[in-house]
Parts: sequence; C-alpha cells; structure tokens
Amino acid sequence: MRKIIDIAINDLRIVFRERGIWINLLVIPIILSVVIGLANGAGASSDTASTGPSILIDVIDEDSSPLSGQFLDELRAANANFVLCPLDNNNGDVCQLGGNTFDAAQAETRLREQTSLALLELPAGFSAALESGTNVSIVYRSNEEATAPSYILQAVQATVQRFGASIVAGRVGGQVVADLPGTALGDAERAQLVADIRQRAQTILNDQPSVVNAVIGTPQEAATANDGGFNQSVPGIATMYVMFAIFPAAVALMTERKQGTLQRLVTLPLTRAQILGGKMLARFLLGMLQYAIVFVFGYFLGVRYGSDPVALGLTMVLFALCITALTLALSTLLKNENQAGAITLLLTLTLAPLGGAWWPLEVVPDWMRTIGHISPVAWAMDSYSSLIFHGGGLADVLPYLGVLAALTIVFFLFGVIRFRIE
Amino acid sequence: MQSQVMVEVRDLAKTFKGKNGDDIQAVKGVQLDIRRGEIYSLLGPNGAGKTTTISMISGLLAPTRGDARIGGHSITREPLQAKQLLGVVPQEIALYPTLSARQNLDFFGKMYGLTGTELSRRVDEIVDFIDLRERQNDRIETFSGGMKRRVNIGVGLLHKPQLIYMDEPTVGIDPQNRRRVLDTVQRLQQEMGMTVLYTSHLMEEVQEISDRIAIIDHGEIIAEGTLGELIQQIGEEDRLTFKVGTQSVPDALLAQFKQEVEGVTSAVYERHDVTNGESETLAQVDGIVTIMAKRGRKALPDLLRIADDAELDVLSVEVREPDLEGVFLHLTGRALRD
Repeated sequence: MRKIIDIAINDLRIVFRERGIWINLLVIPIILSVVIGLANGAGASSDTASTGPSILIDVIDEDSSPLSGQFLDELRAANANFVLCPLDNNNGDVCQLGGNTFDAAQAETRLREQTSLALLELPAGFSAALESGTNVSIVYRSNEEATAPSYILQAVQATVQRFGASIVAGRVGGQVVADLPGTALGDAERAQLVADIRQRAQTILNDQPSVVNAVIGTPQEAATANDGGFNQSVPGIATMYVMFAIFPAAVALMTERKQGTLQRLVTLPLTRAQILGGKMLARFLLGMLQYAIVFVFGYFLGVRYGSDPVALGLTMVLFALCITALTLALSTLLKNENQAGAITLLLTLTLAPLGGAWWPLEVVPDWMRTIGHISPVAWAMDSYSSLIFHGGGLADVLPYLGVLAALTIVFFLFGVIRFRIE
Repeated sequence: MQSQVMVEVRDLAKTFKGKNGDDIQAVKGVQLDIRRGEIYSLLGPNGAGKTTTISMISGLLAPTRGDARIGGHSITREPLQAKQLLGVVPQEIALYPTLSARQNLDFFGKMYGLTGTELSRRVDEIVDFIDLRERQNDRIETFSGGMKRRVNIGVGLLHKPQLIYMDEPTVGIDPQNRRRVLDTVQRLQQEMGMTVLYTSHLMEEVQEISDRIAIIDHGEIIAEGTLGELIQQIGEEDRLTFKVGTQSVPDALLAQFKQEVEGVTSAVYERHDVTNGESETLAQVDGIVTIMAKRGRKALPDLLRIADDAELDVLSVEVREPDLEGVFLHLTGRALRD
C-alpha cells in the first residue's frame, strides 16, 4: 500500500506542476457554476434576496371576506418573512408589482419566472362554505414536486389545520350554547355539559377532520425547478469538472509510456496492481479535490447539500471512482496522446450535458432523459437532485449509487484485463 | 556459496502476433550466462531481437517460452526478488521532466523500497556519484542531454543492484559526456563489483569496456566470447572502407569485388544520411563501401582498379586490422547502425 500511495503522491506532484492547473481546478469551474447557475434561474432568487429576507407568496383572494382575511393573518403569523402579495406590498415594491396588480394568469407567470415562490388561491364562497359547514378547497401552487414539500407548503398546511380546528371548535361551542336549557347550572349539569361538548366536538372532528383542504399543484405549464440556479449548477459543473480532472489520466498514461517511465516502473520491484493502483488513486483523489473545491464554493453561494452527508459523500466517491475506472478502460483503446486528449474532451462535453450537468433532466423530453442515463453523470445528478431538492437520504439514492458501482466494476475489469504497460 | 553466474538465460523465446495474424518469432530460444562482476555486451542490428531479449530479462515482457534467472531468482516465478537485484538504465531518458533530479531519485528510491534516512543518504551518494550536486534541485527538463543521461543512470544505481542493465547509455550525448558515462560503467564494475549488461551500437566503446560480447541476429545468439575469441572466429580479416560520397554503388559491382579479387569475403554498401540538428534537413550523404578481406593491403590495388573501371570515384580509403566491427559485419552481413 505504501508504494501505491507513493506513486499517487508522485503523480499528483507532477499534476500540480502543470501550468494552469489551478485555473482548471478552481477558476473555470467556479465561474461556470455561477454563470450556469444564473442562467438556470439563480438570478431570480438573488433579486428576491436583495430586497431583504422576504418570501413572496402571491395570493388571489376571490372571497375577500373577514374569514379569508383571518386565514391570511394566520398564514402571516406562521413565518415573519412571508410577504403576501399584493396585500403586503410596500412603498419599496417588495412584491415587484411595478404599481400593478395581477390576475390568475399573471400570477402563474410570476411563479414560473420565480418572482414569487408560491401562489395561494382562496375561492369565492370560502367564508360562506365554512359557515355552513361544507368543505372548501384552497389552491396552493409552487414549482416544487408535491412529494417534496417546502417550508412554505408546510406553513400553509399548518395554517389550514389550525384554522380548521378553530372553525370546528366555534361551531361546537355555538351548538352547545344553543342547546342549553337555562343559565343556572348545577355541578352535575356542568359536568354533563362538558361531556356533551367533548362528545359533539369529537363527532364533528370525526365526521369532518378538515374543513379547509389545500390543493397542491404546480404552474399549469411546464414546470421548472424553482430551486434550480446554483442548486443545479454547482453539482452539475462539479461533476463535469471531476471528469476534466480524471480523464487526462489517459493522456498521462500515454505520455508516461512514450517517455519510458511507465516501462521503467515495470522493471522495478513493483506489481502491476501497485503501478495501476497508484496511477488511478492519484486521479481519484484529484477528482475528489475538484468536488470539494466546487462544493465548498457552492456552500457560500447558498447551496445546501441535503441532510445526509453519508449519501452525499458516497455519491461523490462512486462517481469519481466510476470515471477513474472509465479512464483506465479508455486508455486501453487509445493509441496516442493526441487521440486520448481529443476523445476524452469529446466524451466530457457529451456525457456532461447528456447526463444533466448543464441543465436538469426534468426539462428535457422523456426519450432524451432515457438516453441521458447512458451517462454516469445522469446517475450522479439523480442522486444529487434527490439529496438537494427533495431532502432524500441514503435509502432514496441507493439505486443510483448501485448503478454507479456496477458501472465502476465493469469499466475497471475491462481496463485491468486489457491494460498493457509495454 | 554464491554462484559465479549472475544471469542464466535458458531457451528464452518470444513470439508476437503480426498484423496479419501471423506468428513472428522475435527471439528463438536464446541461451546465455553472464558471470558475476563482468561487463557483458549484447550487440545486434535493429530488429535482431536484442531489445526483446533484454525486455524479457528485465521483466518488461513475459517470455513465450523459457526463463531467465537473476541471482538465482526466476524472472517469471519470482519477479520481485529478481528485480530487486536488477538496476535498469533504459535508452530513453525515463525520468519525470517537470520534477527535479532529486525528486526523481527520491521517487524511484522509494519504489526500490528505500525509506527515511537510508533513502536520503543513497540519494546524496548518487547525486555525488553522477556529479550533479549543484543542480540536484533543478528540473530535469532544464538539463543538457548528458546531465539527463547521468540522472538516468543514477536512478538504476539507487538500490545498489548486483546487476545493472544499460541500454545504449551514450546515445545522443557529446564526446565528453560519453567518456564520463564509459568511465562510470567501468567504475561500477571495478569499485562496486557490479555485473553490467551493456548494449550499444558503437563498436569502439563495446570493444573498450566489455569482458565478453554476444552477437544476436534473427533472434539467435550467433557468436559469443571475448573480443579475441570473436576475431579468431572470422579468421582475422582486414576491413577496407571506401568513402564514395553521394554516388550509389550497384550490387553488381559489390559482387564483382568478391568474385575477382582474391581474399575478399564480403562487400557491403551503406549510405549514411547526415541531417542538420533539430531541423532534420538532409545536410550530407556519406556513401561507404566496406570490404572484408584476408591480406587487405594486397587486395587494395585490384579493388581500386575495378572501382575505377566502373567509374566509381573513391574519395578516401581506410584499411583496418581485425576488430569488432569487422566481426559483426562478417557474421551479420550488416553494419550495426542498420
């Protein structure tokens, strides 16, 4: 093992003596992460952020009743940063309305463009329905998937529950008072009254557990990930640049063969496994360093990588291993340094967009998404997407990690069997 | 008791697959013994099987048949033990150009299993031995050809090997550095008792340093022995060299030399293209006719007359007593540079 590590350290020393290595490792991926992040919508989030910690929620209150106003007050109380537009717009135009208001269609557009983060529609008759004890639906839309509720949806759901419960309690109390035969109650009668209220409330809650339903939806037209931006670009560009960091190992192997150092290593008291292991370890570590650089930078851009660091780490490790094994396999098929350089560049610039490193695969047609999964990048991006966008954990990403592990084994076996040092 | 034989090669053979799927026998059952402490040179024209044989002995190529033992360890069955006794100095400058001389020596030393103070001490010794203490921390890519060669040799000596294989270590360096390399080879034998396996295309240096010489051609050892023994094998012929410049010499004329002049055993025409440094443009063409003859001085007037009749303008003539080049020409029919 010591010799494998020494070979890896020597190779890394050579890599870090290359001109422009830090530009490739640090500058370009960071710039690309920012540029592609902005192109993917991070700009909208930045604009919102620039007006303060406001979280814009568009509201269409077609009822405009005291009860609907009470519901919205409950929602405001759920999070001090919520700004219900246009109701809470201020002189600084926090709602970015430009002096106008919006209708349902314009609200959809604002949501798609990520001017607002959610849209809440209270229908006409909201108040009357509640007073008559019939069910009423409010509509909640965001760009998120319904299976991954955000803090906004959670606040709306909590408000719905509280508001529903108060309505139920009011109705129960009203009914109990209406049924009272007199004003002077003895102890026995008082106890009976309490039991009666409890019984009735229980009955009503059992019959109508919720009097206000939240209907969750996305904008009517094609949805885009509203958490796109840097959350998409940082793992995407990091993954692409991991390939840029590892693939040149194929060129380096050709160079070593040409300059005779690879052959010299074979004449030393080393096994073939030690030589290959050292060479591959160096590039794997370089790939992990590339991930670390971009992910740390991403953290300062506001990207959070989910709540399962083990799953995140395994995704990084398995993708870097997979590309390392693919590099070994490729090096057995290539003839010279020029060919290796051209093929690996082509491969990187094909596998990255195909696998969703430049834009989320959710926005491409189904057939393209299927083809995209030829690329190991797609499986890594699926895993990052699950962890970052949907709060997934190890169990959720295991299938993706399984595919990456399987690809790694296949590429590695192919490479080891075919590799010739001579 | 230690065996007197450092390298035993038995029935060593290598067959490659040709482009058409045909079997190409590069080495056909080579047998040789190299004694401890001797300088043993292997000579052969390009394509003779010399590099393939050496590659198998040094563990770079797996033999198709046979085996080689270094210090009693089989290169096929105990490769790590065999390689631990072997130092290799390849013909290419097999160094990392962007690393310094010391970093290269450090790295290869670790690969030989040296660590800590032992490694540091050995690197210091080698840096002194190759006379590069002043430049040890400079990148290899900034070195002259001769300095690179010296580091290349130094790497092979790091672990004090019992056998060192040097493949054309004087290629591409100036006469001063060449002299230094040859002195180094002799010091390795005389001061350190190393066995040296040496290849070169320069007959005079092989003749100067070798204890024994083997000539390989068409994948087989065709002659082996001391210089004196080899010269005896060819009957002590003289070698006559005619320089003819840019003129070409037809095969018919070469045949005429052999047929009409008594004592002539072979006549070979070679053309040497001399190029301009890195631009590799053709600067000069040197045509040379090499004739092997018993009593060469006596044959010279007849040879010049035939050349004159054939309108071949002989620019200069040289007659040399029997030497290794003559042996090689006689045995292979080719000059070593071919």
